[in-house]
Amino acid sequence: MPASSDSTAVASTSAPPDAQTPLAVEPSRGAWSLSPPENASATGDRIDALLARSHGFDFALAAVMLGWLLVAVLRFRGARKVAPDGGTRRSRAWVLGLALGVFGVVDGTLFLGSEGYLRDVLWNLRVPAEDPRTVRIEINAHQWSWEARYAGADGTFGTKDDVVTWNDLRIPAGVPVWVQLVSTDVVHGFSLPAFRVKLDAIPGRVNQTWFQAAREGAWEAACYQHCGTSHYRMRGMLTAMSPEAYAAWLREAGRQAAQTYDADDTAAHWGWAWRTP
Amino acid sequence: MTPGALLRSLWTTDPQRVARQYLWGGFLFLLVGGLLAMVIRFQWGWPGQPVPGLAWALPESGGAITPPTYTAVFTMHGLLMIFFAVTPLLFGALGHFVLPLAIGSRQMAFPRLSAFGFWAYAVGGALMLASFVVRLGPASAGWTSYPPLATPAFTPGLGQTLVTVAVLCVGVSAFLYGLNFVVTVVRCRAPGMTWGRLPLVVWGLFYGAVLNVLFVPVLAAATGLLLLDRVAGTQFFIAGAAAVGGGGDPVVYQHLFWLFGHPEVYILILPAWGMVGDFVAFFSRKPAHGYRLTAGAMGAVTALSGAVYAHHLFTSGMAPVLGRTFMVLTLLISLPAEVMFLNWLMTLWRGSVRLTSPMLAALATMIVFGLGGITGLALGAVATDVPLHGTMWVVGHFHLTMGAASFLAVFAGLYFWFPRMYGRALDERLAKVHVVASAVLFIAVFGGQLVAGYAGQLRRLYDPYQYAFLAHLLTLNRWTSVAAFLLGAVQLVFVVNLVRTLGWGRASEPNPWRVGTLEWTDAGPAAVVLRGPHALSQPEVQQQLGRDWIGQAEPLPSGGLAAEPVAPPVPGVEGAG
Repeated sequence: MPASSDSTAVASTSAPPDAQTPLAVEPSRGAWSLSPPENASATGDRIDALLARSHGFDFALAAVMLGWLLVAVLRFRGARKVAPDGGTRRSRAWVLGLALGVFGVVDGTLFLGSEGYLRDVLWNLRVPAEDPRTVRIEINAHQWSWEARYAGADGTFGTKDDVVTWNDLRIPAGVPVWVQLVSTDVVHGFSLPAFRVKLDAIPGRVNQTWFQAAREGAWEAACYQHCGTSHYRMRGMLTAMSPEAYAAWLREAGRQAAQTYDADDTAAHWGWAWRTP
Repeated sequence: MTPGALLRSLWTTDPQRVARQYLWGGFLFLLVGGLLAMVIRFQWGWPGQPVPGLAWALPESGGAITPPTYTAVFTMHGLLMIFFAVTPLLFGALGHFVLPLAIGSRQMAFPRLSAFGFWAYAVGGALMLASFVVRLGPASAGWTSYPPLATPAFTPGLGQTLVTVAVLCVGVSAFLYGLNFVVTVVRCRAPGMTWGRLPLVVWGLFYGAVLNVLFVPVLAAATGLLLLDRVAGTQFFIAGAAAVGGGGDPVVYQHLFWLFGHPEVYILILPAWGMVGDFVAFFSRKPAHGYRLTAGAMGAVTALSGAVYAHHLFTSGMAPVLGRTFMVLTLLISLPAEVMFLNWLMTLWRGSVRLTSPMLAALATMIVFGLGGITGLALGAVATDVPLHGTMWVVGHFHLTMGAASFLAVFAGLYFWFPRMYGRALDERLAKVHVVASAVLFIAVFGGQLVAGYAGQLRRLYDPYQYAFLAHLLTLNRWTSVAAFLLGAVQLVFVVNLVRTLGWGRASEPNPWRVGTLEWTDAGPAAVVLRGPHALSQPEVQQQLGRDWIGQAEPLPSGGLAAEPVAPPVPGVEGAG
């Protein structure tokens, strides 16, 4: 039951959050752009920097490989004099040393950069757990939509003012958002490309992740795990609002939810215990 | 021919004839899988438009790809290519052909297993083709067949079941030739054919066969349990709304599947690596640089291959301790790969490079494998894997390594061994055009996928442009599709070459590439192997025989041992001694 959006002051002027309408949006970037999707996450620049570095490694290694190969083939094509052995002790030591060096620099950078991000952000659920401003959302993936549940004004899940939306995620900007992710039917993949967020929604499991919007705006949520015929239409919108606008929206949506609350509709009352890390 | 005689000729236990059976089977499925790839590319370039020439197959939509058709198409493309085209061509065809000959054995250790393996593969292939015409169509749950999507509640119909059985059949086949190759290499080597004298391609096939024996049963377990979930009402992998009572766990399937699925990548690429190692030495006319290091590096990759599988599950919500472990192991596997690659480059250096068609294909394999390997680095570290996971970047990466590199290696092997296989040499000029054009277009197509993936395009989307953040990629995808169609068209050069050679080709020389491995120089059943496979450009051979190569089992007139390439043992690298 999506809340009416005209009752709130949504900061963004994006298309309505309706995954069933094909888009007629002007391309925002050049077709050959090598840049990842626009970053809207407060922590995404760390991933982007690491990704760019790995991209740099890709180019450097490819250039060395192709250059060496080309020079070797051109220079020694049909050469008269040939070494009759499989290399000297020294040349083999060079190979080992060079491989170790490249491994140390390239893999080492990726490992250390990744490890730092995992420690500080991706697997550090203490950040949302300890921040009093944190907003919790329970997302239930279905064929083929994202059902989201908000605790409502009372801050507790499983009460009358729980707000439920479909393909319409609302969050306050500048605040940690803690997501608890489940699936009802098949394996889905919850992704917010603009937030560098990606996590499987697996039946029988509760997965958690968190992120924080750097600014207000609207971005797409997509399913990245093949989940059946209409997988490509499992599109949702995530709208980051100012904390005040978010509070106003949640209050109004919670009021409406409480009015239409039906105690007998047990199918609508899903929820999973939040286990803190 | 009487039916009995036909049956007897089909049930052949001669490895070379089994190899030819696999070759034609592999090409048939390569054709089907390739056409399906063209359909996918058309859909991404011109979404929802009628595909020219497909109106007969899809009368209801006038030839346009619909979402259900599309899911079936990419599922069948993946399954056919991996299980019925690349693996059978590398192991079934080239492996059965070259492995016994190259180690100086006329037969496989278990000849009847070879025949049985082929027929298991053929039955599986027939089931795959049959699934296209059953009600509700073929499988559509992706080549990984993740449950619960692959269970009847979400993918009803006989097609998915037939395909599951087909994968089991091809698993039986892969296990049997794996077992057969391992025992053959261990037990049937000619006298003097020590482990240190095996051609690198035999090393590659041997390691790949070991992986088959170890990990194909894991696939069989996953697929078998999935089949029970489909037909017998069990719930090994079913949870959520579809589960009745307790239910199972879908993640268990993912672990089982990738515990096979990742080694499968190395099953496909190890024989290719072996061929590159040998061909680069042969056509640089010098011994392979660091033979033991290369064989040891291939062994290290084999040993690690099963221990890296869970990087496919970085986004499944696995425990951080597992995520970190698999990140380290995954990054570690790039080290032996680098050692091997540098050895190939060092073999070229100061060689006398001859750009024959197998050599061009081997160099092309090196390049596309190199690009594929490099683009995999970011997928090994968790933080960079997250944004790229499930995108076209992954698709481009594994198509370069498993698709482009494996196929170019198949063609390298075929151009190299065809004279020995059929007594006729393929036309060199056509072969070179085919190899170079294919390599360039492979890079264009899969490079286009990498770019689309880096820009965020998720894989397996029927219509990616439903998403605003992907709308700008239509132009890129259209050009990539054009390159893909050209790539498909270029394969006709190979077909023409094949038909022309088989129909009207002249007999080839007995050893056209002037190399010493046993499949070209076997001196008879009593031959004793005297030296390694790369005894090229040895001074005493040139002096006494006037040529720059000598057979592995050919004695030097003076009686001296023509240079075993000097290779002192290297500490710390596992043994190719």
